[in-house]
Amino acid sequence: MKRFAVALILVLPALALAQGGGGRRQTGPVPTGPAPRAANGHPDLTGYWRDDGNANPHGNLGKDYPDFKLPFTPAGEAAHKYNIEHTIDPESLCLPGGLPREDVGDMGFQLIQSGADTVFIYQYGTFRDVPTDGRKHAEDPDPTYFGEEIGTWDGDTLVIDSSAFKDSKTWADENADPHSDVLHTVERWTRPDAGHLHLELTVEDPKFYKAPIHYQRTWIAAPGQHTREQACSENNIDVSEGHLGFGPGPIRADGTRGYDNPDPLPPPPTKSNPAKTILPANYH
Amino acid sequence: MKLRLAVFVAGASLLAAVPALAHHSFSAEFDGHKPVRLVGALTKVEWTNPHSYFYIDVKDDKGNVVNWGCEGGGPLALSRAGMKRGDLKIGDTIVVDGYLAKDGSHLIDARRVTLPDGRSVYGGSPGDGGPPDTSATSKK
Repeated sequence: MKRFAVALILVLPALALAQGGGGRRQTGPVPTGPAPRAANGHPDLTGYWRDDGNANPHGNLGKDYPDFKLPFTPAGEAAHKYNIEHTIDPESLCLPGGLPREDVGDMGFQLIQSGADTVFIYQYGTFRDVPTDGRKHAEDPDPTYFGEEIGTWDGDTLVIDSSAFKDSKTWADENADPHSDVLHTVERWTRPDAGHLHLELTVEDPKFYKAPIHYQRTWIAAPGQHTREQACSENNIDVSEGHLGFGPGPIRADGTRGYDNPDPLPPPPTKSNPAKTILPANYH
Repeated sequence: MKLRLAVFVAGASLLAAVPALAHHSFSAEFDGHKPVRLVGALTKVEWTNPHSYFYIDVKDDKGNVVNWGCEGGGPLALSRAGMKRGDLKIGDTIVVDGYLAKDGSHLIDARRVTLPDGRSVYGGSPGDGGPPDTSATSKK
């Protein structure tokens, strides 16, 4: 028993890391060696990238801040409260996650770099196509969920500068942190070696935050994985039948979402202890 | 005791590392303080996104039959957990352990599904912040 438990300790995290995000289960080892280069000489960021398990608490833009507290302005504090108390998770409504949420979530994603296009493919059919053809921001771009994205290369770093976002329709992260229409993000993507993709993200939103927010994380290459069809609107009865409440629910002191000390499930049934229906006390 | 702690830590690290396939936070819809066990005959399976649903007829103490919906992960999450669509046949008696929806409807989060062959499979959406089920016998 002791030997089994020790084996479990060693094997469980490896099993977890062997599973990717939205793609097929990883089949090969993490690539090693230098980052590959594209025909134009830039690092080639192409690949399926899975979370490395270290961006904790997951889905929290303030993960590196004391007590996970973002530098809200009074308007930002009020917008966060409003999101929690009055809005359904926009991703549950099948809206695109947008930025910065897609950078903060823990799903894997597929990246395809081809000439002057860098395409990110996310869960639920969401994608963004970042041009790297030397164009500048337009004078009056239409607001979108990912903003108007302009890619440039700074040495071996792909820099994506995005502005012109839709206003507060989407959450900035899984914890319902807000963003406004003046959101401006700068992503600096590097592939330090074949197996890793790193992001340094700066989020500016002076309506809701007193100072720029800095966020960084790393993904791991997952050869053989691909994003899969997941039609968000196929059977979304959480929303259509009104089951889903407002906000993300309770947020724990450790910055994650969920209940402190939830009641445990009963042990699985066995032949000697067959199951019978158990409803909560006083349930009608 | 140290071993128990180490196993707990390993389990926690597993849960922290499991990739999310969540469409919404568990606690936005379900009550972590209202665990439920349903035993009943399968009447319908919806193997769909963003969630799969199993509907079962459950008989209460007075003999009344109520049809309950059990919300599971999407097909990708369930297949990774070791459950295939063919594992569920209409009329089968299954056991679903989960948590009651906050809105009081006959809907639960299917955290663990015990199939007629005795396998207990993790049925939830990984990474949704819901209570873990470390006792499911199939892999997560």
